[in-house]
Amino acid sequence: MTTIDADVIRHLSETSVSVEIETEDMTLNIGPQHPSTHGVLRLVARVDGERCFDVQPVIGYMHRGYEKLSEVRSYPQITTIVNRIDWVSGYANEVPFIVAAEKLMELEVPERAQYIRLILTEMARIASHLVFNASYPLELGAATPLFFALRERERVLDLLESVTGGRFHPNFNRIGGVKPAYASGSNTRKLTQDLPAGFLAETHTAMDKVLEATEQLEDLVAGNEIILARTRGIGVLPPEVAAAYGVSGPNMRSSGVPFDLRKNQDYLPYDRFDFDVITGENGDCWDRWHVRLLEIRESVKIIQQAIDGIPSGDLQAKVPKVIKVPAGETYVRAENPKGEMGYFLVSDGKSGPYRLKIRSASFSNISVLPWILEGALVPDIIAIMGSLDFVLGDVDR
Amino acid sequence: MGLIQKFGAPKPVSWLLNWSRQYSLWLFQFGLACCAIELMAASGPRYDFMRFGIIPLPASPRQADLMVVAGTVTDKMAPSIKRLYDQMPEPKYVISMGSCANCGGPYWDSYSVTKGVDQIIPVDVYVPGCPPRPEALLEGIVLLQKLIKNEDMKEKWNRRELEPV
Amino acid sequence: MSSSPSETATHPLQEFADHVADAVGGTAEIQFDTIKVRVPNDRWIEAHAKARDTLDLVFFSWLSAIDWSNEVEAGDPLEEEVEERVELMTALSDLTEGRLVVFSTDLPSENPTIPTLVTTFAGANWHEREAYEMFGIEFEGHPNLIHLYLPDSFQGNPLRKSFPLLSREVKPWPGKVDVEAMPEKPSPDEPSTENPEA
Repeated sequence: MTTIDADVIRHLSETSVSVEIETEDMTLNIGPQHPSTHGVLRLVARVDGERCFDVQPVIGYMHRGYEKLSEVRSYPQITTIVNRIDWVSGYANEVPFIVAAEKLMELEVPERAQYIRLILTEMARIASHLVFNASYPLELGAATPLFFALRERERVLDLLESVTGGRFHPNFNRIGGVKPAYASGSNTRKLTQDLPAGFLAETHTAMDKVLEATEQLEDLVAGNEIILARTRGIGVLPPEVAAAYGVSGPNMRSSGVPFDLRKNQDYLPYDRFDFDVITGENGDCWDRWHVRLLEIRESVKIIQQAIDGIPSGDLQAKVPKVIKVPAGETYVRAENPKGEMGYFLVSDGKSGPYRLKIRSASFSNISVLPWILEGALVPDIIAIMGSLDFVLGDVDR
Repeated sequence: MGLIQKFGAPKPVSWLLNWSRQYSLWLFQFGLACCAIELMAASGPRYDFMRFGIIPLPASPRQADLMVVAGTVTDKMAPSIKRLYDQMPEPKYVISMGSCANCGGPYWDSYSVTKGVDQIIPVDVYVPGCPPRPEALLEGIVLLQKLIKNEDMKEKWNRRELEPV
Repeated sequence: MSSSPSETATHPLQEFADHVADAVGGTAEIQFDTIKVRVPNDRWIEAHAKARDTLDLVFFSWLSAIDWSNEVEAGDPLEEEVEERVELMTALSDLTEGRLVVFSTDLPSENPTIPTLVTTFAGANWHEREAYEMFGIEFEGHPNLIHLYLPDSFQGNPLRKSFPLLSREVKPWPGKVDVEAMPEKPSPDEPSTENPEA
């Protein structure tokens, strides 16, 4: 019977274990149903303790077969389903598709219609970024920003609904322009119904409230130590890796690359407005959150300039009743809130496309997950994954 | 449970049980697609569904009694939905929200979409719309509450085959 | 090399398109503001490597294919007969001015195979898996060529033109239905039951 005295015990407890402990790694299935707003994504993570070394995303739980469905539908029918690809920012998905069809028909879209499309696209961007900026802190544990942002998002959705009739599946574009669904005032028998009465004034109020909400979000989140500790320096994405994987949009911009398709593509008249391209410094999760918050402010700037300068005119160019798009191929790319969205349209002169390839932003954004999650801790998986801001409908189409 | 299954409950007792069950539905967070965003908006500040008693939102099916299938059900996801449904303890209710969950919706001719979630699990209330407005979902919940109020527990226990999962 | 049918003047991107075509050894054409460079099969990987290294086209946008086929099970058939083939396409872009080039190559319809682009662009991984399951294209050297979207038990390549949409076969879409048909009116030969002087 040996007596063990206190010094020995203390010494033993401070000795590091020099024997190699045989550990097994565990396969952790972050299954298709998990409590976040992202949807049905499955991650099969092989973890060694808290550190994971191999993460494979399994996608396809929301695959609805858009590309095959668009081969059997006509152009107006495709417009109804195309806004359900990225379902948080509904309107922004329709615009590049319609622009592609109009390009093949060589149509000149009236100015007023282009301005309306631009205003609604920027509102969709605000709605999408508000959802992200609010639900990302929820995943990190902070529940309050969600309600601040959702309150303002309801205002923006009200505006969208007053013009288009739908909150986030507007189905508002027609080949050649737009077609308002709301009749204004006593002139309900006019053939071309215009924007509803009071739209411009309400938009100004709503934009002011959105700016207030961004300030509140910044106060709530940017000063919070826990969120900063969980996001600074986590999930750094170098710009070369981002380019090789096709990561676009705010994710690419927060790595320091000032590439914004609104500045160099002509699908909408963005060159008439003055706005900045927001870039981040480090490419970590904090930058990705912050860049999107600042982009909301830029979108508000654009909308205010557009509202002040909206021209009058027709809302839709003259098109025949049955639309047949002449043969040709074209690719139109647009800056969606999630990244670059593009439609490669192959037409054969019929009323529907021969092949429609949809290049969705979130598909490329999460293809970088195996690279970026290597060596991350298990709680960081949620932080990094959430900061990439993807929507499963956009991933799986 | 066996008691009610054999004898049924007297009126005041069943009224009390139904009343407590209808106003304390625990909603299982199961949003699949766009309708989930409307579900989120329904829980938001404007169309608050917490005043109907639908809190908290448990993340695990083992503690929930209402599952709202919001969004498109694909063939790849269908076994998971069945499994999650089986993991919920009785009595449980299902609301099918949106036209994709009701009947396949705008993707009725797709090669990978299940034409309606009622092909896999029994549904109590169907809420139409694409996506249904949050008020429509609230009406669906109110209808479900009325359904629960008039429910006969003995018949309900006897109707389903109960297998533990 | 042809430019868009409606333009008689040179397209502003024509110079860039020719430069790309010369560098990678293919032919360029511009259709509706989209530059398309056709390269032969054996130069597929080199063309991409050259584009990435010398032409600054570092951003890998997407990879997909078109199934050119004269018989279609779902949708409308083509107006004119084309040579049956699978056309594989990728899109690369630069990160300064947003110029995008679509590279394309032709593969035979039966058992199309081509070496993989994963070593050149890491992002091609998932796009090639998608092309594999949708079109049946085999990518030699791909580390993980399995289904991406479809369940494991799915058979067939959905985006091939020979793949039917079964729901439409069972019951085709009824077409544009404006209003319900009116109840049957009596034909002019039969005596009318209505009193014409009422």
